[in-house]
Amino acid sequence: MLEISSTPLVIIAILGTIGVILPIISIARKETGSNSFYAVIAFAALIVSIGYVAYQFVTEHVLPSALFSEDVLVDDAFGGFFAIAMLIVAIFTTVGSFNYMRKQNHPAVYYSLILLSTIGMVLVAYSTDLVMLFVAWELMSIPTYVLAGFMKRNPSSNEAALKYFLFGALSSAIIVYGISISYGLTGSTNIGEVIQGYSTLDPSFLPLALLSVGLFIAGFGFKMGLVPFHMWLPDTYEGAPTPITTLLAAGTKKAGFAAAIRIIILGMVALNLDWTLALGIIAVMTMTIGNIAAIMQKNLARMLAYSSIGHAGYILIGLAVAPFSSMGIQGSMYHILNHAVMKGAAFIAVGGIVTTLAVTNLDKLKGLGRRMPITSLGLVISLLALAGVPPLNGFWSKLMLFGGALDASSSLSWAPWLAIAGVLNSALSLAYYGWIMRKMYFEGETEKRVSEPKSVIAVMIFSMIFMVALGVYPDPIIKFVEMASPTIGLGITP
Amino acid sequence: MADAVFLALSVITIGSAIAALELRSLIYGSIALMGTLGGIAGFFLLLDSPFVAMFQIAVYVGSIAVLILFTVMLVKRELIFKKIEDKRRKFAGIGLMLVLMVGLGSVILDSGIKSITTDEPAVDFRDIGADFLTYYWPALILMALILAGSVTGALVLARREDVGNEQRAN
Repeated sequence: MLEISSTPLVIIAILGTIGVILPIISIARKETGSNSFYAVIAFAALIVSIGYVAYQFVTEHVLPSALFSEDVLVDDAFGGFFAIAMLIVAIFTTVGSFNYMRKQNHPAVYYSLILLSTIGMVLVAYSTDLVMLFVAWELMSIPTYVLAGFMKRNPSSNEAALKYFLFGALSSAIIVYGISISYGLTGSTNIGEVIQGYSTLDPSFLPLALLSVGLFIAGFGFKMGLVPFHMWLPDTYEGAPTPITTLLAAGTKKAGFAAAIRIIILGMVALNLDWTLALGIIAVMTMTIGNIAAIMQKNLARMLAYSSIGHAGYILIGLAVAPFSSMGIQGSMYHILNHAVMKGAAFIAVGGIVTTLAVTNLDKLKGLGRRMPITSLGLVISLLALAGVPPLNGFWSKLMLFGGALDASSSLSWAPWLAIAGVLNSALSLAYYGWIMRKMYFEGETEKRVSEPKSVIAVMIFSMIFMVALGVYPDPIIKFVEMASPTIGLGITP
Repeated sequence: MADAVFLALSVITIGSAIAALELRSLIYGSIALMGTLGGIAGFFLLLDSPFVAMFQIAVYVGSIAVLILFTVMLVKRELIFKKIEDKRRKFAGIGLMLVLMVGLGSVILDSGIKSITTDEPAVDFRDIGADFLTYYWPALILMALILAGSVTGALVLARREDVGNEQRAN
């Protein structure tokens, strides 16, 4: 039975109340409220929420990674882990929007939609029922369709919103189709009961069960940006307001992975399928296509979008080898947390550059290191961390992912190739990240320093501390990941 | 008998969906969409779910489709539409749809689905309501938040920025 003080319910109460009240306040004040007024309220709500999640962990009110429960939600360490990652991203987005939204209309609705979408993201990770998961998925998605098109007079923002909406609606429809088949086969929407039903399924229904898992992969794969479901992603990330791109790249994408771990992986394990090769192939394709396409980009936001596709491939390595190595799922979760901060920081830096200098073309970044030194430093550190350069945090999560692939080699003879592909792709990514750094620090001579947005500086400082400190001393975060990651093995039943 | 009704409903639903996409006139397209939504209500009736069918008609055919119709009539057409047609993409889309239809159809028909027979009574709508207030209650709250977010988001997107509040009041 869900307690009223359980983390997901308290998050719904805090963020839902503030999210609904903000537009009402705006109407009561006859829209005279400043951007920062609403931003501060949203920021405070997010800080209280993340504080409550941390408090629940510290006071040990959180269950071990349960994955299944009799209710629609479970207050477990797995959900708590993702809640922390999503809330960090939401805080980045809110703080990054302080400056971005200064001259824009409707700030109250903007921050309200960020909060509502955050509830959806967090609840996806806590869901143990397919209906609950789908409703949370929609709550996460619908506000972001509006947010992507928030700059109504900007044609690229409109294009981004429309593409994102069409593909998002398609992915939702595919997920519902998967849910309907699994409900038809097992008579339940509870994930634990569905998986139990799958493990005792009549063999003649196996193709239908496979079809439902395939539909889940396709549906969640759209949000995760897996190849071949990634077509919408670069245009949307480029055209949407940059803080919202942060929310999409670092937040909603991770919710897709949380849902994938809850359903796809466990469903496949319950069906005793040899699915690892299929996921391994998708992982290699995703990271390779993402990185090769990133090299060819001239626009910074677009390059980071393709790099984001590449990172989805790295994360998928861990999921592919999950039944044969505990390091696999741990590496995936570790990289999800790290990627949320690294990519979040990179996109917020891009947002700061856009609002200050109105440039995103790589050729126009010459001398950026002198013009915006703190933003540039934050961007460089996040790019190095994304490439997996030691001693930054990205190095350890990639090491764990590739180590997981090697660890699984006793059961899967081809698994080391995943690690090799990952290392080669990391080297490839260093090439285009290095190109950005060269432009920023080694080209352009006469540029003068400009005033950097304080909110962007705040995000840069926090993320630099996170990336460097947890790179030099990763023990606490590794222990946290080990505690939050579920045990997945062949033949698992609830 | 049920098979014939199912086939007829399928033709109506898919046919009017294609018409909604292909018709040049937005008004006729919207009316065709009503046919699709009404066809889906027919499927619900066929599946012994009169309650859901009633809501499908009341909400989708009665409200949403009529709303779309009014919106189309009130908005200047040239502002929202620019005709771009790429025949290769169209045929590629049709081809992909056929591949998916054949693929999904063969998987479903090859499975043991035809052997399923059920004589269970239709789910009472009171049970659906009771479930939403007991087991699914957090989902019900999230649905309220989805509606709140959708309404405020739609209002902001639809609002004309070049008209001041005073003009709007007048």
